[in-house]
Amino acid sequence: MSTDEMVRAERPAATVVHRARRALSGFDRRFLPVLGTILTLMIMLGVGQERYSTERVDFISMKLLSNLLVDNSYLLVLAVGMTFVILTGGIDLSVGAVVALVGLSIAEMFSAGLPIVVVLPVAVLIGTTCGLLIGVMVQVFDIQPFIASLAVMFLARGLANVISVNSLKIDDDGFSALAAWSLKFGEGRELWRINASIVVALSVLLIAFLVLHYTRFGRSVYGLGAGDGGAAVNLMGLRPARTRVWVYVISGTCAGIAGVLFALYTKSGFNLTGIGMELDAIAAVVIGGTLLSGGVGFVLGTGAGVLVYGLIQVLIAREGLDSWWTRVFIGVVLLAFVVLQRVLAVRRR
Amino acid sequence: MSAAPPAPVVQMTGISIAFPGVKALDDVGFRLFPGEVHALMGENGAGKSTLIKALTGVYQIDSGRIEVEGREVRLDGPSQAQAAGISTVYQEVNLCANLTVAENVMLGHEVRHGPFIDWRATRRKAAEYLHRLHLDVDPRSMLSSHTIAVQQLCAIARALVVDAKVLVLDEPTSSLDNAEVAELFRVVRSLKDDGVAVLFVSHFLDQIYEISDRITVLRNGRLVGEHMIADLPRRDLIAAMIGKSGDALAGIEEKARSTITIHSDREEPFLTAVGLGKNGSVQPFDVDLYAGEILGVAGLLGSGRTELARLLSGADRPDTGDVRVQSALTRLTSPLAALSRGIAYSTEDRKKEGIVGDLTVRENIALAMQARRGTWRPIPRRQLDDVVARYITALQISPPNPNALIRNLSGGNQQKVLLARWLATAPRLLILDEPTRGIDVGAKAEIQKLVTELAQDGMSVVFISSELEEVLRLSQRLVVMRDRQKVDELVNTDDVTTATILETIAESGARA
Repeated sequence: MSTDEMVRAERPAATVVHRARRALSGFDRRFLPVLGTILTLMIMLGVGQERYSTERVDFISMKLLSNLLVDNSYLLVLAVGMTFVILTGGIDLSVGAVVALVGLSIAEMFSAGLPIVVVLPVAVLIGTTCGLLIGVMVQVFDIQPFIASLAVMFLARGLANVISVNSLKIDDDGFSALAAWSLKFGEGRELWRINASIVVALSVLLIAFLVLHYTRFGRSVYGLGAGDGGAAVNLMGLRPARTRVWVYVISGTCAGIAGVLFALYTKSGFNLTGIGMELDAIAAVVIGGTLLSGGVGFVLGTGAGVLVYGLIQVLIAREGLDSWWTRVFIGVVLLAFVVLQRVLAVRRR
Repeated sequence: MSAAPPAPVVQMTGISIAFPGVKALDDVGFRLFPGEVHALMGENGAGKSTLIKALTGVYQIDSGRIEVEGREVRLDGPSQAQAAGISTVYQEVNLCANLTVAENVMLGHEVRHGPFIDWRATRRKAAEYLHRLHLDVDPRSMLSSHTIAVQQLCAIARALVVDAKVLVLDEPTSSLDNAEVAELFRVVRSLKDDGVAVLFVSHFLDQIYEISDRITVLRNGRLVGEHMIADLPRRDLIAAMIGKSGDALAGIEEKARSTITIHSDREEPFLTAVGLGKNGSVQPFDVDLYAGEILGVAGLLGSGRTELARLLSGADRPDTGDVRVQSALTRLTSPLAALSRGIAYSTEDRKKEGIVGDLTVRENIALAMQARRGTWRPIPRRQLDDVVARYITALQISPPNPNALIRNLSGGNQQKVLLARWLATAPRLLILDEPTRGIDVGAKAEIQKLVTELAQDGMSVVFISSELEEVLRLSQRLVVMRDRQKVDELVNTDDVTTATILETIAESGARA
C-alpha cells in the first residue's frame, strides 16, 4: 500500500523533529517569548547600526543605552511593578494617573516648604496607598482587577485635578540638584552618563528579579498565575490572599517611584501627565514576553521590552518621521508578540 | 491489617456542615489509623467530598471536633491542614502547570539561605523525593509536559516534603490507565508501610477492594458504618451506599426488556430524518424516531453521537438533508425552534451547557418552559411552584428544596433537575446525551427507570451513552456510530450483546 510507504518515508523526519524537540525540552520553553524579545531588540539595533552610524560614531554605543534609560527610567519602574501584577493574572490600570498625582503632590509639598527627605518618601507612599486600595478591593471584596484599578485610576486622576489643573513647577534646590546629578563617562561625542533615575530604575529591576526568582513570595506570585484564581496555590497550603494584595502594593509603590522619576525628568507636575502611560507599561511587559493570562514571564524580559519600546521611539526620530508613527510600530510589535504567545500556547497544548 | 493500631491519627467527631439549602454533613464521625488505607465510600452527594474538604481545611465545620494525634485542631485553611500533617492529592491535579516539577514539589518549602532560595539545593532535594517514589523525571522539566499520572505522583512527592502523617487521595485514579494505577498503588503501599495514614476515595470498587484495609460508608450526609474490608463484601457495600438491596438495580433491566415492542408495521414516525448531515460534524444519515420507543445511540467517544443529537435538536444547522416532524417538512433552525415542535435536548456537558450554577433549582427547571412561552409571558408563580414541586417529588430530587442553588447539589441530582427542565416542556421527543455520566449507581438506576417509564407513556427517547451495557439495557433499537457516520441500525433483540455492538463498530471499520 502506498500509505505504508508514506509512513515509512515520514518516520526519519519524525524522529528528527522528535530529537529537536527533546533538545529543546532541555532548554526551558518558558524562555521562548523572551528570546523573541531579545531577537527583536537585536534586529532593531542592527537596523539602527546600519542606517545611522557615521564614520565617527557608532549607533550602538553606551551613549545610546544611557539615553534610552534616562528617557524611559520611569517606564521601566512602572513596567517592573506591572510585571508582578500581570504574572498573577491581574492588571493595574491606575499607574499612569498615580504618576500624575505623585508629580503634583511633590510640587505642592515643596511649595508648602517641606524638606526633600519628607517629600520623596511621602510621594512614594501615595503610590503604595493606591496599590493597597486596589489589592484590598481585589482580594477582600473579590472585585475584578480591571474594575478595581479603573476606579483607583479615576480617583487618582481626580485628586490630581483637585490639586491643580495647571502645570506646577517644582522649585527646590535639593530636588534640582538630584535631577542634575550624574556620573559622566567617556569624552566628547562618546560621552555618556548615569543619573539618579538610572540608578533607581536599575535597582528596582534588580530587586524585582531577586524577589521574583529567589524568594518564596516570588514563587507564589507565579503560582497565583497558574489559573483558577489561585486555587492551586491555596490547596498547596500557601497563602494566596497575602500574595495578591502584595503584588498590587508593589505595583502601586513602583508607580509612586515612577512618579518621582517622572518629576525629576520634567521638573514639574501636571494633571494631564501619564494619560495612557499604564498602557505603555502593559505593552512593554507583553513585548517583554510575559503572558497576559499570567503565570509565565520574566522581569528581565520586561527590561528588554522597555528597551524595545524606547528604541522604536529613537528609530522613528532618527528616520525623521512624525512621532505618531511610534504608536503604529508599537502596535505592530505588540500584535506580533501577542500572536507569538498564542502560537506557543497552542503548541504547548 | 494485623493487630489493632494503638490510636487514630485523625479523629473526627460530630462533624456537621450546611450549605444554603443543603445539609451536606450531619453529625458524621470518622477516624483514620496510621499505616492503613481507609476508603471513604458513598454515592454522589453522600458527603464524601465535603468530609474530605473539612479535613483538608477547604470548608470550615459548623460543629464537631477534629483531632489530629489526640490534639484538637482548627482547620481554617489548607495551610493549617498541611501544618497539621494532612496532605491532599486531588482528582484534578492541583499543582501549578506553569512551573517546573521541582518548583511544584518544593513550592513553599524551598531550601533557603536567609530569604533567598538556593535553587541548586532545592532541585537536589526535589530529585531525592521523586527518587523515593521511583519517579524518573527531570526536576527541571515543566509539570505540564507530563501525564496526569506523573503529575499526581509529583503531588504525592509534595506530601513527602512536608512529612505528612495523613495523605488524602481524592479520586486519584479516574484518569489513569491500569499500569499507572498499579504504579500509584505501589507508592501508596510503601507509604502505608512507612506509617502514613491514607484516605482513599474512588468510584472503582475493584480498586477499593485491592488497596483498602477499612471502609467508611456515608449516605445522605450521614455515617452509615465503618467496617474492615474483609467484613464487607461488595453486595453489602453497595447496599449500604444506596440504602437498598442490589436487587433493585437488577429489576430495571427486566422492566426495560419487557417493554420491547418492535414496531414492525409501525404507526407513522414522530420524526424522520433523511440524509441529514453537516460537513466536518457528521456524515448524512437517515433515522426514524417513534413514539413510545427508546432509540439507543452506541459508539465510541468522538464517533459523532453528540453531533447527531445536535442536528436532531436544532443546536447545529445541517448542510444537507430534511427533517420531517409528524410528516411535515420542518427546518430546525435553533433549539428553540425544535422545542416549539416538542423536541428537547439534554446536553452531555452538564456543567457548561446544562445547569446555570448560580440559579436555584426552581429557576433552572423554569428555564426551558419560559423559553417556550416567550420572554414576555412570565409563568404565574403558583403554576411554576406546582410544576417544580411535582418534579422534585417525582424525580426524588435531593434536597427537595426548590430554593437551593443548583451548584450545591450533587451531580446526580443536577442531572435530575435538568431532566425536570425538559420534561416540564412536555416534549414529544427527548434526546438525552450521556444523562448518567459521572453519576453513582443509585441515581443512575433511578434515571434509567424514569426514561423507561417516559417511553412507556408514549414519549420518543434518544438515549446516548458511552456505557454500552446501559444503551443495550434501555433501548429497543440501536444506532451504531463510527468515525462520524451512522454505520448500522440494529433491533435490540435478545441475541444483541455488547460484543455484537463492538463487532459492528470494528467490522464497519475494516470495511471503510
